[in-house]
Amino acid sequence: MVFSELYSAYYNTVAKIITEAIKHPLSDNELQTIIEKHAFSESMLNIIPAFKEERWQLLKPDGKTTIKNVPTMPLTTLQKRWLKAIFMDKRIKLFTDKTLDFTDVEPLFKPEDIIVFDKYADGDPFSDEVYIKNFRLTLDAIKKRYPLDIETTSRNGEAVHIILMPEYLEYSEKDDKFRLTGSGEKFGSTVNLSRIISVKTYNESFDAEHAKKTPLRERTVIFELVDKRNALERVLLHFAHFKKQAEKLDDERYRITVSYDKDDEMEIVIRILSFGPMIRVTAPQHFIELIKKRLINQKSCEL
Amino acid sequence: MSYNELVKNFNRIRDYMREFYVYGFKSRDEYTKKSARSYDDERRRLESWLGDYMQFRRTPDGKNVFISIDSRQSRHNPLYKAWKTKSFTDGDITLHFILFDILSDEDKSLSINEIMEELDDYLGQFENPRYFDVSTVRKKLKEYTEAGIIITEKKGKTAYYKRNKMSEPVNCDILDFFSEVSPCGVVGSFLLDKIDSHEENFLFKHHYITSAMDSEVLCLLLMAMQEKCSIDLDILTRKKEVFTENDVVPLKIMISAQSGRQYLMAYVPRFKRITSYRLDNIVSVKTCSVNNERKITESENTDYDILQEKLKGMLPHIWGVSTQGSSGERMEHVEFTIRYAEYEQYIPRRMEREKRCGTLEYLEGNKIRFSADVYDAEELVPWIRTFICRITDISFSDKKLEEKFKNDIMKMYALYGLEGGGENGIQ
Repeated sequence: MVFSELYSAYYNTVAKIITEAIKHPLSDNELQTIIEKHAFSESMLNIIPAFKEERWQLLKPDGKTTIKNVPTMPLTTLQKRWLKAIFMDKRIKLFTDKTLDFTDVEPLFKPEDIIVFDKYADGDPFSDEVYIKNFRLTLDAIKKRYPLDIETTSRNGEAVHIILMPEYLEYSEKDDKFRLTGSGEKFGSTVNLSRIISVKTYNESFDAEHAKKTPLRERTVIFELVDKRNALERVLLHFAHFKKQAEKLDDERYRITVSYDKDDEMEIVIRILSFGPMIRVTAPQHFIELIKKRLINQKSCEL
Repeated sequence: MSYNELVKNFNRIRDYMREFYVYGFKSRDEYTKKSARSYDDERRRLESWLGDYMQFRRTPDGKNVFISIDSRQSRHNPLYKAWKTKSFTDGDITLHFILFDILSDEDKSLSINEIMEELDDYLGQFENPRYFDVSTVRKKLKEYTEAGIIITEKKGKTAYYKRNKMSEPVNCDILDFFSEVSPCGVVGSFLLDKIDSHEENFLFKHHYITSAMDSEVLCLLLMAMQEKCSIDLDILTRKKEVFTENDVVPLKIMISAQSGRQYLMAYVPRFKRITSYRLDNIVSVKTCSVNNERKITESENTDYDILQEKLKGMLPHIWGVSTQGSSGERMEHVEFTIRYAEYEQYIPRRMEREKRCGTLEYLEGNKIRFSADVYDAEELVPWIRTFICRITDISFSDKKLEEKFKNDIMKMYALYGLEGGGENGIQ
């Protein structure tokens, strides 16, 4: 099952230790370095004594191992079933044209077994050949660090040219979209992959060292809530993916601080509104004004 | 028992991780369910596994521990680490590496006696060699055969054991991506652990990582769905009591990209209807086939397919996961109208991409009317509220719900000091 020692950090760490010990007897320092890299911060306290006391009879006190071959383990049925399932996902074509040949297992799930019921309907065209080609070139450029010449459509529908050193692809499951973030000679940019008209390798000179990145503009919003009808859990789960802090003010009242990127401010306003009178924004003032403005406009609708 | 970094039972750590990650405001004294010792041990384990993600805050009530993760900055879900902490015995780990070394050649097939002989050669090199009896080794090989990593073949009356074939490694971009976005992504994380460190090229927005804690439950449900078999569920109620729901037929997994919650849609014989269960409230799953080694009959197969068809027919009327509203009516109607300015063409686009069911009518004067017949209209309320500032008309067949919606807006006016509000407090 999922919770098994076969997948444990300790088994993986011991495999690394044996791999090195096959090459040469391991010193205590080398042992420590491997444990620090592959296991947890307190693992040293368990793994080293287990070897030294010969409870795990795999490594002798002189650092030599009795194992002859580099440790390997075949894929478990669970791993094969999961891989078979993800190879049925339409997004797999972004990465490979290969198919998997695990005839001995059934997929862990089929696409129709799972419904992401609230993702937006205008997700990226993952099966579109041009989109797949653009995705693969973009990913290759990120890995090999070369600039791209991108023609894309702006929000206003105009074609725009951008020269960009691509840094990473960001995927949103809610939007079902990929966005490329990269640095440019004048400023950093973010490009929706589905808006790319054409992309090619940029062969002219590009000063990658001095390229500008899009700076992170972290903002915070503070709001209070009263924990009635499970409000606290609903709110905290909803904002769980942000950096946040929750404080208890009294028996029922809580103060929540959420950090977000400035570009996403309107989205945060909308998400806070979705909780209705369950929460009240208390700071900063400009955020309170954004909420008030919407409420004033709502009043004018005379609902 | 003395403290150990590893754990035998995941459920306890699952509770603590949720408390620290989702809530994160309780002081040590408030963890009254468990002993102070238990709290200290679990906190220490999480600190060891999650390192810098564990944070502390001093409050008048004492020290609060919480897990703080900006999932947009993490290329991999840190909570997966908890799944890599299963405890084992000294014998388990010793046997594991020696057995796979003995069976290092894919074509080498050995009987239990031959394995025992070779095992002695390995252990004999230590000053105080461990002793494994035949039944322990046979049990371990059976366990590995069930996991799919060892193949058992009978030749006459004798069982022969060999390792399963190694597979071609999977592209690490595939694993980096799907381990974060796919159900049971932790399995992808296990595969990544076998790959050398590499550049990771993906980040994830709106990424809810809490579902990682429910991986085992999800995995068992998916397996039961593939086998089309019924299950018994142990479920945690709001009052934190556990009750068992028997013979539930699992049909679909519904995932919310906007809250990270995962649900099981299942037919429940006791209610004679299809309903939903939150996965984070499911404590354990027992499948019939695992318990009874029973194959599904043809008539059960047909019954299962009929239930799937029934759910398929219901889906256009389910906004979230609820299949029953509070009005008691089988179907509830909801409609509302919004206005937008000529330059706000993104509003109709937003409506089109965000509506999951129902219809849109484009009216004169830049207005749109949304209408839908759903099992539970209350599920639409949070979405409708996101259009506050432009809602000109709203109507629910459940008039109590309509009144509540309008009252809530009045309360919001009051919360922000705008005239016309009602009570002046957060709800």
